[in-house]
Amino acid sequence: MKPVYLVDGKRTPSVKAGADLKEIAAPYLGHYLVRHLLDKHGLPSDQIDEVIVGNTGTPAKYPNVGRVIALEAGLDKKTSGYSVHRNCASGMEALSQAYDKIGSGRAHLVFAGGVENMTQMPLMFNKQMTEFFMEMMKAKTTAQKLKIVSSFRPNFLAPVIAIEQGLTDPFCGRNMGQTAETLARELNISRREQDEFANRSHHLAAAATKEGKFREEILPITAGHKLDKMIADDIGFRDNSTVEGLGKLKPYFEKETGTVTVGNACPITDGGSMWLLASEEAVKKYNLDPVAKLVDYHFHGLEPERMGLGPVLAIQGLLQRTGMTLDQIDLFEINEAFAAQVLGCLKVMKDKNLSSKWGINETMGDIPLEKLNVNGGGIALGHPVGSTGSRLVVTLAHELKRRKKKYGLASLCIGGGQGGAVLIENLKL
Amino acid sequence: MTYQHISFELKNDYIWIGLGLNEKKSMTTLTRESLDELSKIMAEVTEIDKKKGAKGLFFFSHKPGVFLAGMDISVINDLKNEADALRNLEVAHKLFNSVEDLKMPTASLVNGICLGGGLELSLCCKKIFVSDNPKTALALPEVMLGVLPGFGGTYRLPKKVGLPPALDMILTGKQIKGKNAFKMNLADAILPAERMLELAPQYLNKAKKKKSLKEELEKAAMENFLTRKIIFQKAREQVMKNTKGFYPAPLKILEVLEKGANKNRSDYLAMEAQAFAELSQSIQSKNLQHIFFLTDNSKKLENKDQLPSIHRGAVIGAGVMGGGIAWLFAQNNQAPLMKDITPAALELGLKQASANFAGALKKRKMTEDEFNRKMRSIEPTLTLEGMKSADLVIEAVVENMELKKKVFAELEQYVKPDCLLTSNTSSLSVEEMSKALKNPGRFAGLHFFNPVNKMPLVEIITHEKADPKTIQTLVKWVLDVKKTPIIVKDGPGFLVNRILAPYLNEAAFLLEEGVSVEALDEAALNFGMPMGPCRLMDEIGLDVCVKVGKIMQEGLGQRAIPSSLSTKLYDAKLLGKKNSKGFYLYDEKGKSTGKNPEISKIITSKRKHMDEMTIQMRLFLPMVNEAAYILSDKICDKAATVDVGMIYGTGFPPFKGGLLKWADQEGLESIVERLNNFAKEINQDRYQVSPFLSLMVSDKRKFYDL
Repeated sequence: MKPVYLVDGKRTPSVKAGADLKEIAAPYLGHYLVRHLLDKHGLPSDQIDEVIVGNTGTPAKYPNVGRVIALEAGLDKKTSGYSVHRNCASGMEALSQAYDKIGSGRAHLVFAGGVENMTQMPLMFNKQMTEFFMEMMKAKTTAQKLKIVSSFRPNFLAPVIAIEQGLTDPFCGRNMGQTAETLARELNISRREQDEFANRSHHLAAAATKEGKFREEILPITAGHKLDKMIADDIGFRDNSTVEGLGKLKPYFEKETGTVTVGNACPITDGGSMWLLASEEAVKKYNLDPVAKLVDYHFHGLEPERMGLGPVLAIQGLLQRTGMTLDQIDLFEINEAFAAQVLGCLKVMKDKNLSSKWGINETMGDIPLEKLNVNGGGIALGHPVGSTGSRLVVTLAHELKRRKKKYGLASLCIGGGQGGAVLIENLKL
Repeated sequence: MTYQHISFELKNDYIWIGLGLNEKKSMTTLTRESLDELSKIMAEVTEIDKKKGAKGLFFFSHKPGVFLAGMDISVINDLKNEADALRNLEVAHKLFNSVEDLKMPTASLVNGICLGGGLELSLCCKKIFVSDNPKTALALPEVMLGVLPGFGGTYRLPKKVGLPPALDMILTGKQIKGKNAFKMNLADAILPAERMLELAPQYLNKAKKKKSLKEELEKAAMENFLTRKIIFQKAREQVMKNTKGFYPAPLKILEVLEKGANKNRSDYLAMEAQAFAELSQSIQSKNLQHIFFLTDNSKKLENKDQLPSIHRGAVIGAGVMGGGIAWLFAQNNQAPLMKDITPAALELGLKQASANFAGALKKRKMTEDEFNRKMRSIEPTLTLEGMKSADLVIEAVVENMELKKKVFAELEQYVKPDCLLTSNTSSLSVEEMSKALKNPGRFAGLHFFNPVNKMPLVEIITHEKADPKTIQTLVKWVLDVKKTPIIVKDGPGFLVNRILAPYLNEAAFLLEEGVSVEALDEAALNFGMPMGPCRLMDEIGLDVCVKVGKIMQEGLGQRAIPSSLSTKLYDAKLLGKKNSKGFYLYDEKGKSTGKNPEISKIITSKRKHMDEMTIQMRLFLPMVNEAAYILSDKICDKAATVDVGMIYGTGFPPFKGGLLKWADQEGLESIVERLNNFAKEINQDRYQVSPFLSLMVSDKRKFYDL
């Protein structure tokens, strides 16, 4: 493979669902990032080979968000664009495809990232109501119509909530929260441990925001009904969070005996993120100054009901591919879908017996908290599903640059029972 | 027989008459020669018709995007007198009637622009088919030239579409897009542009779409004597409201339509012709025709295709003007960068742009999706990083020379080598500003008027080192974004503000002498100005007036010495609309709520009555005088430039043909005499006749002779 450069990456502010980004349709969470990167690096709009965008909600109006983003960003109409879906890792899948295309020499300049407007995920008519409409359309005579009308029952109007369906595994029938409960139980992770981890996330995010660390990675977005407002900061984290406060929340998924609450899980969020990737040739031709190199990636499957442990297998696979060890990595971003799930991963990685259950015949080692999610994670910053995979890499690259450290690894668990991980090398040492 | 301008062919039993044959100009118009050819063709057609030699006839156009843009205006302009006009109309009526009188089915295939005589010709056909080409639009714009449709348009249009829609079209001259033409029954079918000629014969004999009960009832009601009376009364009120009676054409149109109700064709057309002949010789129509040519000339640009196009714009400073300019770029698909130093400042610019789009959105001239796309095409930014994408940068930061110079020096390090750099300054020296740049050749002033979305004029300000290509490219861009450019040299207030300054200054002196705010504004309104000087000062802001007053005095000396009144108002914090109180009071939405009583405390001089004519002369003659200085200083090249500037930059009454056209009509000798009297009676400095104007009088020349 030829070297693949991460030239520059930016993200929208992460804003909890139903708040300031609620009216922004998915393409508009990405197009301005593309245009900004194009302008900033002075690239001709007709020289981009591909636009790859992760998105899971697939808005009915924009079945191929990637192509829409390419056009709305003002890229030449010949630029091809597509959308990818690997559940929670869609943004990471976009990066991995960019990696393959550039690495194999097929492409030189690629935009890859993800967008998700979770607020706009729809409410749908249920099966009975849909059938009711179909029968009504077929009916010809008034008598037929009356007969069908009389079959109507109020429960026909109970909507199907797309987001709720999307977060329930179709194979094992368990909700994502329930899979986290399984891990908490099987790996013995207490409620207190989870709440402490969640609390840490909020405070780290608040501190990073206060220090202005995110200013470099967030590109303010035009928002509001009249499009005359600018949102520049993340909205959703709580700087006044306490472990005690979090402890008062009721378990959400297993009401009586559970440990997973809305407080120690990631909130539903709107947001987007985007990378400009380039080949060595393009870097030279356009005199680009890449921030990092995309070293490699790995995806790995496991049982859907324990999807939260996906990062363990993905990281192990990635280390094997690259011949590196855990302690060589300077910084980690592991998505916090649930505190229980991240803590579970850490536990498995340092325990040989546990690891062996998933076919890993070694102790991978310890990820110290000083290296993990140092500016907070999904619990505080949210998890706009299609975007997170690339958002983690944006945050990781910026922090590596700040710390002048070499290797960074981003990983996440994927609904449906998978894990994904990418390794990057900072070029701004 | 073959023809030069119109093709004529009998093919597969149908007669095809093709307009715009060999047309080199951008628009096909009716000229004496083409009318002559059409007459000959129609003579042949009539013979064929008598022998039942064809199944039908079609008019179509050879020229893409244009069906027929009406009569060549210069033909109207050349009409020597009423009798000459009547003679010409008689010939045309005969021709148009011969089309209408054909027995065979006839249709006009309108693909593209169809104006005036083009639509009147179409109305003589039994059917009108329009294409789905977005350029297809139909209108009777004669009223804009101070005349009425003279080829039977006022006779035939109401018959086709009903009285109220016909009045609306004839009185406003507005364009009806193809789809709407079909909806209002002006067109009988919409056909795909590419297959129009192929499909037309199939549609020729199709029964007309049946009128709905509602349409039948409406039609019956419109034919009722009483309803008609009410319609005309309402229309007359509307016309008076819109034109204040300054324009005779709309009133004449109403008169013709109302009186013509029960007349037969020849009587009606004779009446229409008489009205046209009278109007065509009126001073208002002559002046409007004059403006048509001025505007047309200002849109001419040689080698337009060889000049670069602007694809991406940028604006520095996101205030009211910056936001307005960002809107202009976005509206014209030039996705602008908008730079300022804080997010709050950027929001101000976004607010302005959004407000400008709001009207179009409300009137459904724009969909929610388009609004989203255009508004989001504005890229707010806090850094200059992205500026290398811009082809044109317009600086609109606060009016401070040092700051502007700093902005340009910094900007030059980011933009690409062929990016044009411009300043929207209204008062600072462009010459001086150019010194901040390493490459001043690509720099010029680009002065917009507030509000950007409503004001059509843009002053392009040259300087010593400006590259002529820079200026030409800016002219092209201004035209592309549908504004009217004038090229002027650097100097205090450039052109428009420099001529406006003595007007506002004299208003302030008149107030100090004891003339009331109302009398002053009323006099200007009755002259035909869109607003009086006091209201205008409120709009501009008294702070700006004070600032500009100083600059004018510094640059022009004693004749521009400002009245102390604006400073007094400024000191009393009566800034005008921007803080809701000036000469008038305003509510939070900026709507005027009446006089400001505080004014009487500031102006303490005894109330003085002055006749309206004197007020008008005192306001407008100093403007003429200053315009003479502008011409002698070579700020612009000719009187026409001054008039385009004054009409599109200040709303100087179009029916007066522009400031200098008006001056020529008033007579320069009498103007100089009146100025001399004012100099003696009022003030020696302010009314001192410019040497250039004196020279013109002694040479017996007019502004338009220069």
